[in-house]
Amino acid sequence: MIKEFWFLLQKEAVLEWRSRYAVGGVVLYVVSTVFVVFMASVKVAPNVWNTLFWIITLFGSANALVKSFVPESAARELYYYTLADPVAVIFSKIVYNILLLFAINLATYFFMTVFVGNPVKDTWMFFGILALGSASLAISFTFVSALAVKARNSATLMAILGFPVIIPVLITTVKISANALRLFQDTAIGKDVLILISIDAIMISLSFILFPYLWRD
Amino acid sequence: MKGFWWKSLACVLLLYSLTAGLLFPLKTGVADVFPRSAFLGSRVTLTVKGYNSRYTLYRNPRAWLKMDSVHAIAAGAVRIKNARLLELDFTFPTWLPDSDAVKDLTLVVDDPADGVSILPNAVFLSRDTVAVNAAHSGDWNLTIQGVHPHIGVAFPYRNILYETIRNTFYHVPMWFAMFAMLGVSVFYGIKYLRRPDEAYDVKSRAYASTGTFFGVLGLVTGGLWAKHTWGQYFPMDVKLIMAAVAVLMYAAYFVLRSSFDDTEREARIGAIYNIFGFASLGPLLFVIPRLTSSLHPGNGGNPAFGSQDLDNTMRLVFYPACIGWILFGLWLSQLLYRIAFLKVHTLSNERQ
Repeated sequence: MIKEFWFLLQKEAVLEWRSRYAVGGVVLYVVSTVFVVFMASVKVAPNVWNTLFWIITLFGSANALVKSFVPESAARELYYYTLADPVAVIFSKIVYNILLLFAINLATYFFMTVFVGNPVKDTWMFFGILALGSASLAISFTFVSALAVKARNSATLMAILGFPVIIPVLITTVKISANALRLFQDTAIGKDVLILISIDAIMISLSFILFPYLWRD
Repeated sequence: MKGFWWKSLACVLLLYSLTAGLLFPLKTGVADVFPRSAFLGSRVTLTVKGYNSRYTLYRNPRAWLKMDSVHAIAAGAVRIKNARLLELDFTFPTWLPDSDAVKDLTLVVDDPADGVSILPNAVFLSRDTVAVNAAHSGDWNLTIQGVHPHIGVAFPYRNILYETIRNTFYHVPMWFAMFAMLGVSVFYGIKYLRRPDEAYDVKSRAYASTGTFFGVLGLVTGGLWAKHTWGQYFPMDVKLIMAAVAVLMYAAYFVLRSSFDDTEREARIGAIYNIFGFASLGPLLFVIPRLTSSLHPGNGGNPAFGSQDLDNTMRLVFYPACIGWILFGLWLSQLLYRIAFLKVHTLSNERQ
């Protein structure tokens, strides 16, 4: 199964590389949003920066992951079904999406720094939150996009289904991130990190349990 | 009637909680005092407005202003004006036990007729900057003893809440009922995934709709309550956001279901989202609100359902109300899925 997982992960990367326009589109989306922020307000206060950063990240992630199950045609999906274990399929998708989102969010951070400024005081902590936040967003959105792709007009549905699920993650992430910006000092930050990790654990295990049922089509 | 006992029980419990919850009076309380501030060493006549009080029946009224558990002063004289109005004479000592500039004093009024009533932060006592070097006179060393309990069945009187304390019996059970309904819905969702029988799906959907209905009712009753106690229909509070998100999530569930043409697919993917959503409601409603500050009791480290929130009289109405609303929800869901069954099968079908 680990071997399957590696093959599937490679397949994801190769597919992404062959259709570079998809990830390019997302990066362009992020850049244009950041540019709009830059034009709308030249000077951004740290708390506004924090809010804007996570809003851009949220919509960037949703845009990036909405198609994570789309390019697979029905016939090809049936082919995977005969070959691979569904858990390996969803796990490879999740891991791939975590990496993709982390890269996109790093790009967002870079563009925000260039255009709007960088109020982050504790950079390593912020990178940690970026990784954790990307992981949480990727896990939830991957599963939701797997659900949404089965229905009609999946792009709208993705937003409707995904946002309620993502809100607890987002609240916790924004709180920790405010800490990295030194908007306030919280000594019990470890507890928030633990919440985020446990939400991720719940989501991953649910995906593993439920995806085999979703897969059977 | 066999098998219907729980429906009768639901009716009895709901009627009981509605009548008892609305008809029992509140305990005697102090609504307001005048003046709200005083200086050290001054003589003050405090006018006390009572709530549900029977001051004219008082034979042995006593009153204190309390600073903490070992510092209090007694009223010199208590004059009864009418059933809702008292006048108390206080002579404040010229010193404070510590160096604070301002002290908030709690008013305690006691009589065998009505029992004890309390108004926190009744009077703010400040140091008189002019008479700062006056000699120590007067004494704080008085402890309040031998207060009388309230006689008869009544709900606690709380400033800020007043009569809206009764909403505890109608607002809180909505959430209990919502969780019960959504839990049953998820249970049938899991059953459907294990064995795809259409009946399970119809039931799962019916319970999800009643659960969402209770969620909306909980938001509405909570909004009305919040307007009267916190001043806003929808204040910025973690628990409110979470509750709204929970309702949104189930609204999304129905949108998701309506976007399929194939009923088998709709049922399966609906069940999957139902389970996924319900599991993510756990941290949403129970973990995160407890770790952030919130207006609700039971959040931000406050204990929920402690003796502060619910006394024994309220428990007498609150628990039956919870059970009653849950049974009512089960009944409502049963009606919903029976209608759905009737729509699916023809009336002549033997199945229903």
